[in-house]
Amino acid sequence: MEINEPTHVWQLSFDGDWPTSVAFLGNGRKIAAGNRQGQIYVWNLPETPPAEDADGEGKEKTKSETPPDFAPIRRLDGHTNGVTGLIATADGKTLISASLDRTVRLWDVEAKPTSTEEVVLDTKRREIAARRKSKEEKEKIIGAPGVQVEVVKSSHRLEGHGEWVKALGLSADGHRLISGDDACWTVVWDLATRKEICRWHGYDRVWVSSAALSPDGKTAFTAEFAGSRSSFDRPAAQAKLWNADDGTMKLDLLKVWTPKVKDKDRIDSYGYAQTWGKLMKRGLVCAAFSPDGKLLAVGQGGETDTGKVHLIDTKTGEIVRTVSGHRYGACDVKFSADGKYILSSGRDTTVRICQVDDGKEVAALGKARGGQFKDWMHGIAISPDQKWVAAADIAGIVHLWQLSPDSTDEAAG
Amino acid sequence: MRELRWIVVFVCCVLGGVVAPATGAEPLRDVIDAQVTAGWKSNGVTSVEPSTDAEFLRRVYLDLLGIVPTYDEAVAFLNDTAPDKRSKLIDRLLEHPRYAVHQADVWDMVYFGRNPPGYGTDKREGFQNWLAEQFRSNRPHNVWAGQILRAEGNTVEQGPPMFFVQYSRRPEDAIEAVTQKFLGVQLQCARCHDHPFEGWTQLDFYGMAAYYSRLQVVNVGKKNKLTAYAIGELNRGEVLFTGSVSEQELGKKGTPVKPKLLGGEPFTEPELPEGFKEPRNFPSGKVPPAPKTSRKNALADWVTAADNPYFAKAAANRIWAQFMGKGIVQPVDNLADANPPSHPELLKQLTASLVEHKFDLKQFIREILNSNSYQLSSRGPVTDAMPLWYERARYRPLSAEELLESWMTVGGYNDALKVSGKEPEGRFRPRGITWDYVRRFFGRPNDGVGNFQGGLHEHLYLNNGQVHQLISKQTGSLYDTVAKSDQPWGKRVERMFLQILTRRPTVTETEKFVAHLSPADDPQGRLHEAIWTLMTCSEFRFNH
Amino acid sequence: MQGTCPRHEHVSRRSLLKGTLATASGASVLNWGGLFQSQAIAEAAKRKKKHCILLWLNGGCSQFETFDMKIGRSTGGMFRDISTNLPGARVCELMPAISQRMDKLTVIRSMRTSQIDHPGGIYLMHTGYARAANVRFPEMGAIIAKYCGSPEADLPDFVKISSQGNAGAGFLGPRYQPFSLGRDGNLPPFSTSQLTPEKESRRHSLRDFIEEQFARTHKADPARMHREAYDRARRLQNVRHVFDTDDEWAKYGDKYGNTKFGRRCMIARRLVEEGVSFVEVGQSGYDTHGDNFTGHKSLVPTMDRAWSALLDDLEERGLLQDTLVVWMGEIGRTPRINNRSGRDHYVRSWSTALAGGGVKGGLVYGESDQDGIDVKDNPVTEGDFFGTIYKALGVDPETENYSGVRPVPLAPFGHKVVTDILA
Repeated sequence: MEINEPTHVWQLSFDGDWPTSVAFLGNGRKIAAGNRQGQIYVWNLPETPPAEDADGEGKEKTKSETPPDFAPIRRLDGHTNGVTGLIATADGKTLISASLDRTVRLWDVEAKPTSTEEVVLDTKRREIAARRKSKEEKEKIIGAPGVQVEVVKSSHRLEGHGEWVKALGLSADGHRLISGDDACWTVVWDLATRKEICRWHGYDRVWVSSAALSPDGKTAFTAEFAGSRSSFDRPAAQAKLWNADDGTMKLDLLKVWTPKVKDKDRIDSYGYAQTWGKLMKRGLVCAAFSPDGKLLAVGQGGETDTGKVHLIDTKTGEIVRTVSGHRYGACDVKFSADGKYILSSGRDTTVRICQVDDGKEVAALGKARGGQFKDWMHGIAISPDQKWVAAADIAGIVHLWQLSPDSTDEAAG
Repeated sequence: MRELRWIVVFVCCVLGGVVAPATGAEPLRDVIDAQVTAGWKSNGVTSVEPSTDAEFLRRVYLDLLGIVPTYDEAVAFLNDTAPDKRSKLIDRLLEHPRYAVHQADVWDMVYFGRNPPGYGTDKREGFQNWLAEQFRSNRPHNVWAGQILRAEGNTVEQGPPMFFVQYSRRPEDAIEAVTQKFLGVQLQCARCHDHPFEGWTQLDFYGMAAYYSRLQVVNVGKKNKLTAYAIGELNRGEVLFTGSVSEQELGKKGTPVKPKLLGGEPFTEPELPEGFKEPRNFPSGKVPPAPKTSRKNALADWVTAADNPYFAKAAANRIWAQFMGKGIVQPVDNLADANPPSHPELLKQLTASLVEHKFDLKQFIREILNSNSYQLSSRGPVTDAMPLWYERARYRPLSAEELLESWMTVGGYNDALKVSGKEPEGRFRPRGITWDYVRRFFGRPNDGVGNFQGGLHEHLYLNNGQVHQLISKQTGSLYDTVAKSDQPWGKRVERMFLQILTRRPTVTETEKFVAHLSPADDPQGRLHEAIWTLMTCSEFRFNH
Repeated sequence: MQGTCPRHEHVSRRSLLKGTLATASGASVLNWGGLFQSQAIAEAAKRKKKHCILLWLNGGCSQFETFDMKIGRSTGGMFRDISTNLPGARVCELMPAISQRMDKLTVIRSMRTSQIDHPGGIYLMHTGYARAANVRFPEMGAIIAKYCGSPEADLPDFVKISSQGNAGAGFLGPRYQPFSLGRDGNLPPFSTSQLTPEKESRRHSLRDFIEEQFARTHKADPARMHREAYDRARRLQNVRHVFDTDDEWAKYGDKYGNTKFGRRCMIARRLVEEGVSFVEVGQSGYDTHGDNFTGHKSLVPTMDRAWSALLDDLEERGLLQDTLVVWMGEIGRTPRINNRSGRDHYVRSWSTALAGGGVKGGLVYGESDQDGIDVKDNPVTEGDFFGTIYKALGVDPETENYSGVRPVPLAPFGHKVVTDILA
């Protein structure tokens, strides 16, 4: 991955309640994004954004320019409640989504649409533009036509969860899928046959906050978190490595990180909560294995003062380094394909790119815009060719950045 | 209109004008008495008689030193026949080494409370020692208050920066605390929307919060085995304003708000030089460099300027409340139009005097304590803990610190320790007592507005708990002295009352106690109980 | 007992028997000479009494995540609703147990109150009044303790278990101050006396003497509070066993959901069983300005299970018809969801609920508009709500007490009792 003065190339409108996740579909510039209403849209972006001015000032963009918008081409219908995660297979043909409607769905990206529909994706922008305008102008702006999208209704539902599914992961080899729900069940699936390989259960009323599979699909990571301490007999947080073939536990990471705590003290007590709270904040909400499987990155979720990313040695379970840091909490974490960089998004409206070797931050994409509390950059995705980064911004936007200028881009835009 | 008045004041300050000086050469104590008496007259209130020597003695010891007098000190004062012994006692106590310690305790509670926010703020000896030094050397209040706000140095070697450690990266919380504690102005309603009655707008709030938008708490390494923090100030950073909380929207761009004093001019800062770079966060382990222009210091100067009318008034009111029980404006951190003073002219005079004497606290306190109003008795039919017109002396519970240290004095724990040649284990660590419990049960005896609540937990601790450990039986302790004494019981009871309650017993009390103590069965238990009774009764529990 | 200051306030029968001192003003100094009371008095206290259990949801429970679902609206949020055993009524999917007990509940969805911040709201929804400069209003618990309590009993009449609110007994006097238990419902440390009863008694007589001497000339409230609290702490010795609930919990833990809040609810049932007139149980954490959905997901199921178990338990023991169970927080939450995935404070339209003796049950009263922004009909103010509660417990809400010379009714002047929900 090459990072050299990233530029903000697209800002796609995706109004309607909180975009939460993005995924690149294959090697081109096709992306999918899902929101908290359960809608998933697919965009097919041109390689270079449309020219701003006919005269062409060159590839320099003035900082105050808003990057251009683009319309999606299709909508994937099926989820009845928010999308919590999106992953695509490497060949870009299958999209996997997890949702609050307690299902995981597999979408054929190329499927034939059943209908077309007109949708408006920039309601917010229209409302802002219509402010302080006359009644007729208001109506014109708000009632302006939307975009035509193809609607795809069919998908394969993976049944197996009875609660919100908030954790989703795919092994790098594309064979296995992992999903975790709020009833503390984690399931490992074989993607080709769509059958469960194994499943395991934690404590009642504890949620699986993140899950990931090693590149070869043989090791799984799950983190659990329960929101509040109200029970007597179970701790409110866990982080474990598992054997993904049979669901047996390999390593209890919390024990590795807190060796001085006696087993009998690992209960739902104030004291123990203070201990694991320092490491896990409000739950480890995102996880990713490095491409060589040697490291595991986990992000501290919010709301907390700063959500950082731990890099964990997958053999010993020790925290090797703690990098990055998002005010109020991290949301998503991904490794670059060469394993050199770790990208994280968080509740400070930024995507931070840090070096894995020394933790140094080399770039911060996005800028905080609000009051004391900032909008979140929620899910992120890296294009397979490692050139672009996409992020779902809860303010109803999907951002795309280009990490370094095109080496072949000579002519003015 | 408010704006205009502020601008006028501001302009006057700039031109060097000061608040009107105190009327004539009348001593402040007489002004106090005249005003308080006038208050009684106009409200048809009858005041009580002056305090007895015993009442006064105990009260003034607790108010100035935070501890009851020893037996010897009590006897010396009560037997003294000099007509000016009270004012001499006040002078003596103002110079006593414990004066500084106790006042530091009181003001530490003002700035931090029992449960301060922020990481590392519960261990703040650096700040507390520094504060004690300010009282020891009687440094002008506006000078050391300004030092807290300038937060120079580190928390271990200097002390003041600990105040801002409470509000790390939260300029909104910091400004709320500063305006409340230093100016008696409550801005917090204006944080979420324009203040409903006081006329502060949300932008006023954010204009003030902007002064603290660049502060960072920096770990500057270990000093004396403690982690030291310094307050660094960046050259960049703004608070972003997005409107009232009810109008929050996703994607709303916040507008940076420039610093602006309440009702004052916007703060001017010179431009940063071209290509100026600084890190996003100060690196830890190094003392952060000072910024080119310090907003924090500008605000510190404004808050503690001699002619900042809120500062002097809030300080005068707070210190008045410390000794008289109730502020002239109550609560003391709410000097608002909707919360008028009970004695406006008196407050004006107190403020003027404080300013005229350049915030000399000893002088101010001396005047209050020498007034007849302060020296009223606490006996009387009025049931209010803090009578509105000061027609009777106030009752307030001893703080946890005062309680523990007074218990150690009266039980003779300290005396026994001295006799045995041992060193005290630390200020709050007598053997057998868990300071944490004392703080938990006695640390917050009042409800939100200062009324004593008195829960059952106190009594469970007193009845069944660790107080017994303080009734030392070692040589030199009260128990030992009384048990071994060959004096008649009446004399011994007198000794107990003088040592614990700082007064002589009445005839009835003597009879009852002698009857309790003289039987032959279980003399140890009886004596122990008698001491316990005096140490845990209401008369002891309160400063009255 | 209603409308007048009960006789026991002035001269307690017990103190008559023991020959108490009466001070000049006529109020007696409680003088519990002995530690033990007669069985008959205790039994009489338990019979024919009204009780109240307040489930206090500190922080402000969201009506959109409990009783006032706005499915499909932009203010609806992430949860879905489920049907209940009350035709037409639907509740949040987080409350399956309560959904099957809606026939016992009266839900008020049209609360409209006046204090939006925590200190103001907590004071308001404990006393029924907004904080005033010169009047110290009493909490609901103190009022119920006064009008429905048993002065003879050794158990305090007003018990708080891990809850907020510090208005206390206000001008009703220190006798009605709450007795607070901790998060686990246990007595605070040092609850056990180390002395033999004879020694304790001997010590007490000396202590009592010195207090009476002091009280002759020193009339200030704090001293009186201190004295009376001391007395009450002593009487606790006799009833310590009531608070020892390990065995009880072993039996009923599953029923109440194996949570700390569940345990506190069980203790509330036990205390009511033993004759305590008012128990307040708190659950905190509802102030979800950020992460409202995960926040409520971690709290509401616990509350649902415990509340249902409490209602079942009271009914099974024949206590429900004499016990009013009040469910509320200090504020509601905003229809709008902010950028922290949270909801802020809101008092223009929110929900509370009542169950048990005195109220109808099986009723959803009042409605908010389609987005939950405003009350559509039948608004209920804090005064109305408190007046209704007192009425349901057989106490006339217009009864006046005196704060200095000022008469203060139990529920604020101008309140309207919601008679539609009374049984």
